[in-house]
Amino acid sequence: MSLAAAPAPPRSVFGKPENPRRTVLVLLGPCIVYLVLFSIYPLFHSLRLSFTDMSAAAGGGDWVGLKNYADLLVDPLFWNAAKNSAIMVVLSVGIQIVLGVALAMFFNLHLKGSWIVRGILMLPMLMTPIVVGLMWRALLNPDWGLIDWAIRLTGLEPPDWLGSVNMAIVTLVLVDCWQWTPFVFLIVFARLQALPLDIFEAANVDGAGPIVTFRRITLPMLMPAIVFAGVFRAVDAFRSFDLVFGLSYGGPARGTTTLSFFAFQHGFQFQNYGYAAAIAYAMLIILSVGTTVMLRYAQIRPETGR
Amino acid sequence: MQDKQKGQRLNVPMAANRRDMLRAMAALGLTTGVLGKFGISAAFGADFDWKKYAGTKINLLMVGGEGDDRAFADLVPEFEAQTGMTIEITAPALGPLIEKSLQNLQAPQSAYDVISYLGFLTTQQVGAGYYEQLNSYIDDPGLTPPDWDFGDFLQPALRNVGIFDMASGTVGKGTDVYGVPGTHSGSAIYFYRKDLFEAAGLQPAKTWDEFHAAAKALTTDEVAGASFIGANDFSLALVDWFTRFITIGGTLMTGDPHTKDFKPNVDSPEGVRALQMMIDLLPYAPKNVTKYGFAENVDGFSTGKIAQMIFWSTIAGPVFDPDKSLVADKTGTGPVPADEGQTPRAIQGGWGIGIPKNADPAKKAAAWLALTWFTSKKVNNYLVDKYQIDANRTSSFTDPDLLAKFPYLADSLAAASSAESLATARIPECFQLNDVMNVEFNSALLGIQDAKTACAKVQVQWEDMLRKAGHLA
Repeated sequence: MSLAAAPAPPRSVFGKPENPRRTVLVLLGPCIVYLVLFSIYPLFHSLRLSFTDMSAAAGGGDWVGLKNYADLLVDPLFWNAAKNSAIMVVLSVGIQIVLGVALAMFFNLHLKGSWIVRGILMLPMLMTPIVVGLMWRALLNPDWGLIDWAIRLTGLEPPDWLGSVNMAIVTLVLVDCWQWTPFVFLIVFARLQALPLDIFEAANVDGAGPIVTFRRITLPMLMPAIVFAGVFRAVDAFRSFDLVFGLSYGGPARGTTTLSFFAFQHGFQFQNYGYAAAIAYAMLIILSVGTTVMLRYAQIRPETGR
Repeated sequence: MQDKQKGQRLNVPMAANRRDMLRAMAALGLTTGVLGKFGISAAFGADFDWKKYAGTKINLLMVGGEGDDRAFADLVPEFEAQTGMTIEITAPALGPLIEKSLQNLQAPQSAYDVISYLGFLTTQQVGAGYYEQLNSYIDDPGLTPPDWDFGDFLQPALRNVGIFDMASGTVGKGTDVYGVPGTHSGSAIYFYRKDLFEAAGLQPAKTWDEFHAAAKALTTDEVAGASFIGANDFSLALVDWFTRFITIGGTLMTGDPHTKDFKPNVDSPEGVRALQMMIDLLPYAPKNVTKYGFAENVDGFSTGKIAQMIFWSTIAGPVFDPDKSLVADKTGTGPVPADEGQTPRAIQGGWGIGIPKNADPAKKAAAWLALTWFTSKKVNNYLVDKYQIDANRTSSFTDPDLLAKFPYLADSLAAASSAESLATARIPECFQLNDVMNVEFNSALLGIQDAKTACAKVQVQWEDMLRKAGHLA
């Protein structure tokens, strides 16, 4: 009589008997350590900071509870920055989606040589925003800027791009659109390429014209891509800092001071670290609520567009 | 002990008026000259052991992008050859520099052995007790090279960045030294086009009325009669408004932060008038002057599009450089205009340099030697000669070779000698106060509000901020 030998326990790649918990720890450990050190700890540290009055003046800072947040609510400069950020998001993302979809539709015609133009169109997106800001600041210089010079050649007077409070935010939006419309185009165009052709053929057989086809078929089926690009761009536009820094430095008269720039001023210029952290967390709250709402909207059925 | 006190009195004539100060400076210069003539300085220099800290590595933190870092980098090989030490220079822009400085000054031990700080932040950084007191280093001939000459530093610059009374928290008071003028100093002077003034039969403006009249007379389609910093820029309030304000009799602050009666006077008649003077210049200024910051004004003047302006003296280098300026041989300089009975003077700018109290104790003496090397006469002359950086030593301003090359140095010295420190630099909220002023004044120049409203808004916001910070009851 012989006893059947028990099956040998599975062995790890190191030849030792496998311990699932240990394997998980070994594989995930470095990732967890990285996340704790570089994401979670800074997040909690800055959260704690937002409840203190830490500044260059106050040194280490004392616990002040929700005072920084309460101060934010009554700070007209915070609301001015919030308004500018909101304008950036609504105008920039709106224009970029319209233009991005239009460009995607245009390039979907696959005209001869369009691949070259498509490649060139991508270039602004590859540039660093601070460089984009500085470059446009030079182009729009009222004394020697290329664009103002070109407009004057036509006999027209160029707008006061960065000199008037109302125009400066529009200029900021336009430059942002120049850089990021290609991103929306890229996402929408990729989706457009993947749409099934049979639906369009069926619509054609049923006698649907191009406008009806676009409104009833193309647009609903593109909607997930549009919402994705919109959410992505909205988050980015809301946090816009480097473009503002390079192009307008928040002026004139705080007309282009966004929330990120406002936080930068308090954190890096005035050394009010506690208050700057509170601004950053206020932004996080607004963004979390905003993106949750938008992503909920993104859970639409492509077939119906609802 | 007695010698030490005597040394301090000699080195830091704090309580002296300007005449006494100049006399003391002259005496020091004479003494140095006499010693130099008899070869005594040279003998001391020869005896000084430059290599005593050979092998030590010094980390220096200073501002980048203002020219000084390039000059220092040029000189690193010479420094290392003479001292046997090595030095690593970190030079971020102003914003990151402030953050990095504070992080290090507040840490258990600073990673930097020598740190340079903006004069407007002396109270914030020196006043917080972050820097080593330097009197004992200065007075120790074993630590300080004999030809370093502490008395040669411009006294207003030294008071602005180096002297601090910890007991009362007052910058420029007493004899305790925590830093020396490091990298560049400077103030504002008057720049004008000699050829245009001569052609119009005008004299350079000595009063603000003359300045305005010249602006009106010299304005053409090609040339603006006057310019100023009109953009929402750091220097809008500090140079253009502040210079006008103090030279028509204004006093920015009264009282003292420590007695909680530190009250601004921005909405005073002088404050409103200073801003109105700038608004009144708009018809004669470049069309886009409300977008003109530092670079635009330098470009405008250098390309011959501006007839006159008051500006940081540090731009004299590029303006007088024929390779960079179309008006190098047509430019004149002078003291800033002032009302009858007022002294022409402008703001005191510049940088200090010191040793963090929490720097590696074993390296502090070596750090001091490095600090003295980079703030020596020779280095200061090099900064002026090679990069036209504003000097912080009297000897550089009066050096015959430099003076022949850069005639504006005489006016720069006069301005630097009479410069007035910014009263709000006494409190750490200085930058935030300045920002409020720039935004409101920029709005007034844009026509969004009048001068009186802008000044009133600044006054209200300043009082609110001063109360919150505990400087005003």
